[in-house]
Amino acid sequence: MSIDRQADSVKDFMIQAEKVSYSVNLDGNTLPILHNVSLAIGAGESAAIVGRSGSGKTTLLGLLAGLDVPTAGDIMLDGQMINTLSEDERASLRAQRVGFVFQSFQLLPTLTAIENIMLPMELSGIVDAKHRAEALLERVGLAQRMKHTPRQLSGGEQQRVAIARAFAVAPKILFADEPTGNLDTHTGEAITELLMNLNQEQGTTLVMVTHDQQLADRCQRLFVIEAGLLHEDAAVSKTVTAV
Amino acid sequence: MTASAKVMSFRQDLRERNIKVMLAAMVIAVATVATITMFADHLQRTLLTSASAFLAADRQLNSRSSEPVPEAWFTTAQAGGLEVSKMIEFGTMVSSESRFQLVAVKAVDGAYPLRGEIEWQADIDSQRELKANGPDPGEVWLNPRLMHLLELRPGDALDVGATTLMISGLILREPDGGFRLSDLAPRVMMHIDDVAATQVIQPGSRVNHRGLFAGDEADLASFEAWLAPQLNNAYRWVDVRQNETLGESLDKAESFLLLGGSLAVLLAVVAIAVASRQYALGQRDRVALLKTLGLTGKRIRFLYLSRLMLWGIITTLAGLLLAIPAAWMLALMMAKLMDQSLVFTLSFSSLWPVLVTVLVALFAFAYPPISRLRNTSAMRVLRSLPSDDKATLATDLLLAVIVVFALLWVYVNDLRLVVSLLGAMAVLFAILALAGAGLIALLRRFSTGHGSWRLAVIALYRHRHATLSQLSVFAMTVMLAGTLVLVRSSLLADWQAQLPEDAPNHFLLNIAPESVEQIEAFFSDNQLSSSPLYPIVRGRLTEINAQPAQEVALNKEDDELRRELNLTIAASYPADNQIISGQWFAPGETSGLSIEQSLAESLGVNIGDTLGFTIGSEKITATISSIRSVQWDSMQPNFFIIFPPQGAISGLPSTSLTSFYLPEAKKNILNDFVWQFPTISVLEMDHVIERIQQIIRQVTQAVEAILLMILLAAVAVMVAVVSATMGERQREGALLRTLGGQQQLLVKATIFEFALLGLLAGILGVLAAEIAVWALQYRLFAGDFRWHWPVVIALPLFSALLLALLGRWQLIPVLKVSPMLLLRRLE
Repeated sequence: MSIDRQADSVKDFMIQAEKVSYSVNLDGNTLPILHNVSLAIGAGESAAIVGRSGSGKTTLLGLLAGLDVPTAGDIMLDGQMINTLSEDERASLRAQRVGFVFQSFQLLPTLTAIENIMLPMELSGIVDAKHRAEALLERVGLAQRMKHTPRQLSGGEQQRVAIARAFAVAPKILFADEPTGNLDTHTGEAITELLMNLNQEQGTTLVMVTHDQQLADRCQRLFVIEAGLLHEDAAVSKTVTAV
Repeated sequence: MTASAKVMSFRQDLRERNIKVMLAAMVIAVATVATITMFADHLQRTLLTSASAFLAADRQLNSRSSEPVPEAWFTTAQAGGLEVSKMIEFGTMVSSESRFQLVAVKAVDGAYPLRGEIEWQADIDSQRELKANGPDPGEVWLNPRLMHLLELRPGDALDVGATTLMISGLILREPDGGFRLSDLAPRVMMHIDDVAATQVIQPGSRVNHRGLFAGDEADLASFEAWLAPQLNNAYRWVDVRQNETLGESLDKAESFLLLGGSLAVLLAVVAIAVASRQYALGQRDRVALLKTLGLTGKRIRFLYLSRLMLWGIITTLAGLLLAIPAAWMLALMMAKLMDQSLVFTLSFSSLWPVLVTVLVALFAFAYPPISRLRNTSAMRVLRSLPSDDKATLATDLLLAVIVVFALLWVYVNDLRLVVSLLGAMAVLFAILALAGAGLIALLRRFSTGHGSWRLAVIALYRHRHATLSQLSVFAMTVMLAGTLVLVRSSLLADWQAQLPEDAPNHFLLNIAPESVEQIEAFFSDNQLSSSPLYPIVRGRLTEINAQPAQEVALNKEDDELRRELNLTIAASYPADNQIISGQWFAPGETSGLSIEQSLAESLGVNIGDTLGFTIGSEKITATISSIRSVQWDSMQPNFFIIFPPQGAISGLPSTSLTSFYLPEAKKNILNDFVWQFPTISVLEMDHVIERIQQIIRQVTQAVEAILLMILLAAVAVMVAVVSATMGERQREGALLRTLGGQQQLLVKATIFEFALLGLLAGILGVLAAEIAVWALQYRLFAGDFRWHWPVVIALPLFSALLLALLGRWQLIPVLKVSPMLLLRRLE
């Protein structure tokens, strides 16, 4: 599938993986996690990666986001080959173009809600971080909880703050790892709604790993990973308009 | 404040438990090291000042010829900020109207004594007084015995050579009394300006000129450096430390303080290393998140490095703020105890080793785990990754050993001491590595039986890596504290044995053979115990192997070649002497002699060499049959040369010498004695002994105080280590309670677990301490190896108890709040 798409135009893909393999060394034994994975996701597309626990989906997400580099194969992110970049260069790339939402929220416990949102903006040198953070908090419905620390917020509220943080630097790509995994169904739905809406408003490319069928269904494309091998569920995936 | 600044703000740091523990460990470390350094410095100065009183100055310059000390030297010393004083000593005849007597005159200027005081009496029945200066010109002070011999009273005139001086008091003690038994003639003290008028000193007269110097150590050192090239053999520069009696005590005290200081450094770095490692472990998730948010490794390193520097500065300042009053308090306590006025000057030069130590410790121990944080994989935000702790632990350990070695070497400047300590640590770690696995396997076997015991053993087994590392740190802490306790005990016992309360404090010299019986009767009448009577024959060492001694001796300038020696006869050698080589005289042996070790070395003679002596008009020779070491600070009669009974000097005219203990309360007996035996010289050493005992008491107090502080630092290290894993243990406790564990069971299991850990660490640590002390004992404190059972038994028990209490303490929140609340709080 992706090979044909790749032939169309490389520039149109926000994320592209080519024959990516990844293995880890465990007590002297090589344990393969991903094997020859290839995919291409266009700008503005939303993609879900599903699979059983331990199938390698989170590892793939990490590799696509440049948190680590593959053992073999190439990964392009917004036109840049990231597996040849140094760790610091990948970090700079993330600071400018990538946002994250995690299953366990990953808010800094010592910072208030607004400070957690301001942090990535300050790291990328955005000047009016405070005003933008206030606007984002209002957007996620937490204008009244600005000065509260994560411990004072519920799980759903923490994830809203995390989403606001993820969109704070106006990233081109948003990676989400089980964003509703720690939330009840009702809260999960609300978070899904918020995430998809924001994604649409900002025209972000969204890649998420999820177990949540409802959330996966909201994505334009669906990838299934099984024992380190990836294939696209063509029946689910819709036609993509290249940006 | 911006969010990124707040992530790493000091206020924020103070909210994190790991950082609090680390900062507290660092403050304790700095405070301990700084207090010890400052107090040791203060103690040094106090002790040196006390000891300086023995010279009546900080340094003395003795002219060996009869030439005075050049005037220019005094001028230079004064220009260099030193106080100076001149003194002339000579022997002469003095006379009253009807009597003559040979006396030892000490002529002093208005500045004498620069250190210490003169004990003086206006008349024989007046109060004893302390005088800051000697007699004024035209006046003279006499020793009471001389007063009696000449039948004079204060106010009478005394003829000294061509002049007449007025007796204005009795001299009881002078600070630089000296320990030589050769000063037999009674003392006369006069002003130096009157010496010329006596016309006693003529070209060729035997006169001893001395220069006295006092001032700051730095000024003294620079004067000494200037003077040294100009000193030929005609002058001898005397430091307090060259005084054998005091030198040894001071050196031992200094060694102990340095040992205490270096152990404090070791404890400090252990605390810092443990806390930093825990802190770095706790920071990995945060670093991974910051990296995910786009922070580069370089900026992460900068962030943490600046934190570390800030902590270093803040904890150093806080530590010093605690240390300064602590050192002041110690100094005050000591001043009160010793009934002295407090002179505590803060010497910043004594603080630089603290700063260097802290910074080196901080960057060699705290920095490595923190610097590795930049290598944390960003993937950690997605899933937990195994850490590569084992590989880095080895590098850290190697670095730690090298740095500790360098640090201690710089600090203590004693390779043997450093090697002993590190050797004991290496042995300890080897034992831990070997025994660790076996011990843990053994623990598993014992994990049967009663509930709480089983739970405790299982907990130790389950956390076996943590158990081993905690065991190492606790064992090392016990070893360091144990070493100090053991060394202190043997040091104090050594001093106590050396100078017991009833050590002989008076010497009787010049006892004529016919007076011996009367003297013995005098002792028994007054219930005084004395040492044996030693016959004394005074003679000059003139030949070595039939060659002139002054030409063939290794050290041709040895004082002992210039004066008469007290030769004695003894069937057995004094109890505190040791035969180094050769054999002591067999019963009935009449040939040979025994020589003191340092004199033998200075002369360059050995067993089988022949020494020749000139005694009056007689010449005798004898072959060296044994070499002895002599404990000069024992305050017992000691001799360079001893002959056997019926040996070479038997039958020569002799007097006798003995020593005895006279308590202060019976001091007036001495007046009767002087009247009863006017020809016998009494050497009052009680003030010297009292002073040495006072110095030993001072040092003992310091030793105790430093020991206490180091034990506190050791406890702090243990608290730091226990707190480091507190979160995890509390979570486990909460889980156990959630799963239905009874509070009682939990408390017992925790107490068992920690007590067992403490006991094992205590046993291993105390064994390592015995090894360290065994290695140190010989040279540093000159004692023999023996097991110290009380400490060997008490220390592991104490360590078990302490850890059990700490374990119980960390359990408090688990027992106080509901498991649900606790689990949420710990998330």
